[in-house]
Amino acid sequence: MSNIPLNIDWQQILLHWMNLAILVGGLYFILFKPVKQFMDKRQQHYKDLEDQANGKLKEAEDIKDQYQAKLDGVEVELHEARAKVQQAVEKSTQEQLAQAKKQAQQIVDKARIEAEHSKEKVMKEAQRELKQLATEAAEKIAFKSDVDPFDQFLNLAEGGKGNEIR
Amino acid sequence: MGKHKKGLAVCAVAILLLLAASLLAGYHGRAESVQEAMRDAVLHSENQIPFLGGKAVNPALISAFTVTAILLVLAALIRIFAIPRFKLIPGKFQLVIEEAVGLFDNMAKQNSPHRNGFLGAYIFGAGAYIFVGTLFELLGLQATTTHGQPITLPAPLSDVNAAIGLGVLSYLVILSGGIAGNGAGGIGKTLKEFSLPISMSFRLFGALLSGLLVTELVYYYLHLSFVLPVIVGVLFTLLHAIIQTYVLTMLTALYYGEVSEPAHKVKKAKAN
Repeated sequence: MSNIPLNIDWQQILLHWMNLAILVGGLYFILFKPVKQFMDKRQQHYKDLEDQANGKLKEAEDIKDQYQAKLDGVEVELHEARAKVQQAVEKSTQEQLAQAKKQAQQIVDKARIEAEHSKEKVMKEAQRELKQLATEAAEKIAFKSDVDPFDQFLNLAEGGKGNEIR
Repeated sequence: MGKHKKGLAVCAVAILLLLAASLLAGYHGRAESVQEAMRDAVLHSENQIPFLGGKAVNPALISAFTVTAILLVLAALIRIFAIPRFKLIPGKFQLVIEEAVGLFDNMAKQNSPHRNGFLGAYIFGAGAYIFVGTLFELLGLQATTTHGQPITLPAPLSDVNAAIGLGVLSYLVILSGGIAGNGAGGIGKTLKEFSLPISMSFRLFGALLSGLLVTELVYYYLHLSFVLPVIVGVLFTLLHAIIQTYVLTMLTALYYGEVSEPAHKVKKAKAN
């Protein structure tokens, strides 16, 4: 052993190996592994956060698409609703118009009836007055006047102008 | 501004006083010549330390066990006090720890995409050992030799036994990757790189030893021990600690990835 150059000693090399084995093993279990585990855990944590963010982003995209589709549907619905409302308004207008016409017809009919009544009443009144005038004229002719009764009657019938002339 | 000037003046006076005191204390010379000192720094044939009171071993082995103890105690303290308080948004210290672990883990993943669980753990341990082991010589810890002389503990890898140990172990790790990835074919792939354990061992040994020799040379002469060690000792040591850590871990990861990569079987087209 002592003939090996550079004072190489196999026993000491083995002792160095033992030392290195203790060092590498010790450092691995005491420092390397826990620190690496922590780093991996942190990496996983941030990866999870990223995945969550991506998931939420995708979810938001889906919701956006859904709402976009709904929005597109709303346009159609809006047209339909507008058409329905328009139809309803038209129907209502027609009904109101018909009712107004009906009321107007009723008013006209009523007015006509009333006018008829008034006419009849006026006619009756006129006839009554005429009768009265005729009676009065007859009385005058018969009892007071020296003129021709027929002329008096005519004068009275024409509004009493003959009397006024005289 | 005035405070800075006052502080500088105090520092300068203190340095001058220490320099004067050390010169006045006298220099009694070293018991060994510079040749002997440097030869012993390489071969460790003279200054040895009793290991656990038994066999005399090179000082670098004691350094290696001390480095392991320091690293494991530090790791245990971090495990007990720091890791349970780790947060999702890291603070400065957590960032340093995560960066160190992530550096070697990513190196393993990039260079060996097919099989890297064990590789990451190994290069983390080996990297920490080389880096802290190289900086360890700056601490200047003392031990007593078998002759009763005090000796400064060197960097573990400045001993050829430690360098061979790490180089060959790295090769065995690469071999294990080859077997795990390709079975018998992996052994063949790994054995093709038969020069790898020697090159890795002696690269480490050469790099660390050169640093040790320069430091030894500088410290041998007392007058060179002022100011110059700041550059030679600290900056160069730090620089080659980083470089050697990177080189060995990168080479191990690279070869591990190469031999553990599953072989692609080329299907022979049937001739009609």
